[in-house]
Amino acid sequence: MRVKIWGARGSVPAPGPEMNRYGGNTSSVEVTLSTGETLIIDAGTGIRTLGFSLPPDMPRINILLTHLHLDHIQGLMFFPPCFRAESTIRIWGPSSPEASLEARIARYISAPLSPVEVRELPCDVSFLDAPASEWKVGGATIRAEAVTHRGPTLGFRITDGDTTLCYISDHEPALGAPLAQLEPEWISGYNLARNADLLIHDCQYTDDEYPGHEGWGHSRVTDAVTFGRRVEAKRMLLFHHDPMHTDSFLDDLHIAARQKWAELGGDPAQIEIARERDELQVGPAPAKLPERASAPADSAQAHAEA
Amino acid sequence: MSGPQKPLELILARNLVTSIATPAFLVGRDGTLLFYNEAAGALLGVPFEEMGRMEPGEWIGSFGPFDGDGNPIPVAELPLTVALRDGRPAHANFNIRSTKGEHHEIAASGMPIIGKDHGASGAIVFFWPLDEDRARALATGSHEVSR
Repeated sequence: MRVKIWGARGSVPAPGPEMNRYGGNTSSVEVTLSTGETLIIDAGTGIRTLGFSLPPDMPRINILLTHLHLDHIQGLMFFPPCFRAESTIRIWGPSSPEASLEARIARYISAPLSPVEVRELPCDVSFLDAPASEWKVGGATIRAEAVTHRGPTLGFRITDGDTTLCYISDHEPALGAPLAQLEPEWISGYNLARNADLLIHDCQYTDDEYPGHEGWGHSRVTDAVTFGRRVEAKRMLLFHHDPMHTDSFLDDLHIAARQKWAELGGDPAQIEIARERDELQVGPAPAKLPERASAPADSAQAHAEA
Repeated sequence: MSGPQKPLELILARNLVTSIATPAFLVGRDGTLLFYNEAAGALLGVPFEEMGRMEPGEWIGSFGPFDGDGNPIPVAELPLTVALRDGRPAHANFNIRSTKGEHHEIAASGMPIIGKDHGASGAIVFFWPLDEDRARALATGSHEVSR
């Protein structure tokens, strides 16, 4: 499969010249399966530019939402296929006894926060609770499990042939838990991430920043790296960058993570840090890649085209 | 892997129990003792790390419980059992025996843990020593008991 990062930021978009290399858009990742089909994980502001790159005649668009915090759904209302009558969009997200997924998302896509309502979207959109058991999308098998974060939050394990991608964008597995010593069965997200060919995982804080943010639902470098080593991920991509972290800060964070990864016995080359528009090949290359329009280079251009 | 992955609500319950000084233990759906915290270990006379998980018959045999006359309390009457069996909170006062041979009268409250998608996954039991010195020591965060 092929993975493309369209937004790697957490919490809130963080545009600015000091953020250019890693990007300021919030979480959104495109996964192209070996069959050429596309999956989108999360709908942060990165999904907006992703949407411009999709062919207008794409038959069906599948979106997996980890949770409904704004940095993971904010881009939905600016996702171009939502405004095309010929688009069919299926959105999976965490279930809730309180309200349907559509009703919860409609709290954002409705007045006074939005000029349009969900029911006014011209596309054919359906909202589905992520099943408790595995399900199929295209050629991939998907498993969702609840993970430690604030509010109902899912992580995803996507298996395409022999290749496995795990995505846990918002995760604090070490909250109240000695992650290095804990038995695997007690580690949040362990089964999802075990032996993944690529683990995309929360690494929002440095170790120094973490004491002021404990319980906020995110990982510090040591915990992210320890989790990656405990689950024996073959490759790890640090994700959900704090909006305060500039390019140079993230360069240093990456160095610190590589050092810790090596201290825990890993090859430092296995641990990378997400940058907007980066593409990663995981396992065999897709048999056929969909033809793509080029995405707008900057926000102003994208807005004008919309 | 030491066992199947625990559901998130049990993981979070264990994290909570680990982080507090209120004695508490956690059991699975079948009554297996999955974990108890340091404060519980101080009353039971042995840390969880030394005992490990125990089947219902094992931990009941190790720690009692028994009534004021020294008679064993039927398992079916324990707050934990009621919480698991009936899916509701339950409370009782009774005695337990530590591995050091000490007897403690405690008040225990059991509460089922219900998963969002899959029903009851276990129960959590908080308990509290009725001995004033021990209760005071717990409330002040000290495990030292003055006599």
